[in-house]
Amino acid sequence: MEAIEEETKKTPLYSEHLKLGAKMTPFGGWDMPVQYEGIIKEHNATRNYAGLFDVSHMGEFYIKGKDSLEFLQSVLPQNLENLTRGQAIYCQLPNQKGGLVDDLIVYFAKGIIEDIDYLIVVNASRIKEDFDFMTSQAQNFDVEVINKSDDFSMLALQGPNSKYIIEKMGIEQNIQPKFFHFINTKLDNTPVFLTRSGYTGEDGFEIIFENKYASDLWNKILSYKEYKVSPVGLGARDTLRLEAGLPLYGHELNEETTPLESSLGYFIPKDKIHNYNGKEVILAQKLHQMPLRRKLFAFIMQDRQIARNGYEVYIEGKKAGVVTSGAPSPTLGKNIGFCMVDFNNLDGGTIQKLNNPQESIGMIIQIMVRNKLYNAEIVKKPFVHKNYIK
Amino acid sequence: MTMPDGILCSKTHEWILEEGNNAVIGLTPYAVEQLGDIVFIELPEIGSDFSKEEAFATIESVKAASEIYMPVGGKVVEVNDKLTNSPELLNEDAFDNWLVKIECNDFSQDSQGLLEYSDYLDEVE
Repeated sequence: MEAIEEETKKTPLYSEHLKLGAKMTPFGGWDMPVQYEGIIKEHNATRNYAGLFDVSHMGEFYIKGKDSLEFLQSVLPQNLENLTRGQAIYCQLPNQKGGLVDDLIVYFAKGIIEDIDYLIVVNASRIKEDFDFMTSQAQNFDVEVINKSDDFSMLALQGPNSKYIIEKMGIEQNIQPKFFHFINTKLDNTPVFLTRSGYTGEDGFEIIFENKYASDLWNKILSYKEYKVSPVGLGARDTLRLEAGLPLYGHELNEETTPLESSLGYFIPKDKIHNYNGKEVILAQKLHQMPLRRKLFAFIMQDRQIARNGYEVYIEGKKAGVVTSGAPSPTLGKNIGFCMVDFNNLDGGTIQKLNNPQESIGMIIQIMVRNKLYNAEIVKKPFVHKNYIK
Repeated sequence: MTMPDGILCSKTHEWILEEGNNAVIGLTPYAVEQLGDIVFIELPEIGSDFSKEEAFATIESVKAASEIYMPVGGKVVEVNDKLTNSPELLNEDAFDNWLVKIECNDFSQDSQGLLEYSDYLDEVE
């Protein structure tokens, strides 16, 4: 019997996307715009001017209660103790094995959003898993985890002109939030949480607000034609984040793979005292006391072939993993990607080389494209310099 | 973009125009529009044989790779090399920028079931 197809959800901007002639595609249970005028055009518009993305599918949770901090300290590898009000931090949510339930951003919202302690933004495809997991973990704490995802819409305004547009809407540059900070404010007359963050490697903002304002805010931002702002779909969102070396849950991150294996070791503190799920594995890998079973690498194809998600990777003639994301890079004019290299099948010498960035960067691996092997070079991420304003 | 007279289309979005014993094959403007920005085209070698509905080329857009299928069987006699270096030309004109020319095995037999262009448009739109 055929599975019953669940109906895809629509964001409050669905009809705006259709008006703009967007091509729609299912993504994480949502019917989302994949492109308006073309992926390359939208990609370049974001890098050079400004791109506006509907990311209303993403989830928002509120955390409140006496034990809010203690609870988050028990589920996240990052140390939230020294976070200042209005500051945000990129975190992972590990399971007991050290694999990831999701990756997310935590905003310290006490005194900024009424009545709550933290705002958390999570991946659309993981809202239910995250909520169930966090709720189950919260049982022994005096804390409430509230799923606000259906109440809020979210826009991302990304690219060098973003700050001018936000200024036009009433927030002068000198009072705009700094990188990975947020404020509770009004854009024109619309109440929003305005954060300096994004998923493109460019300076920019993410704007969270009640659903009823979605169309007005979307159209208002797009009206600033002097700043060449374009609507941008998920197609360019993917090439932009890939160039910036940013992982996507379900591709570079999953329940089986630890943050160290997904090359997120940079975000794992060595000295966090609190216990958190998966700490034994995550910390041991961070301290090189436990070997990685696999590792994520960034690569550039050496010819015109494009590696795609799921293509096989070969190292020294042996099958050694899969491509997790791959696409042409409009900025570099080369074909780039991430691959998860499985250490199971490789000999000790090769694994040692792969574990040493001085030796692994520049290594040539092979990727199977339509039954033929093509060379790719392991490179340092990001592929493209990040233009954050810090 | 001018549509050549007398083309037939497959349900997998290839167009074909018979020229004597040979035929020109391309991808329909509808398919190109659906794919979006085309960034890579892999064409077959001259002399290779393909049967009807066999994959003979790959076209990659930013998002994905797609196989292109033979609307009729035949042997490749010419490939449009221009597209290998400038795949984006296909986005500009899908009729002018054909993919391959073939020597047909049996056009009248193989072309049964292909659609007139107007019928094809009715199917896809």
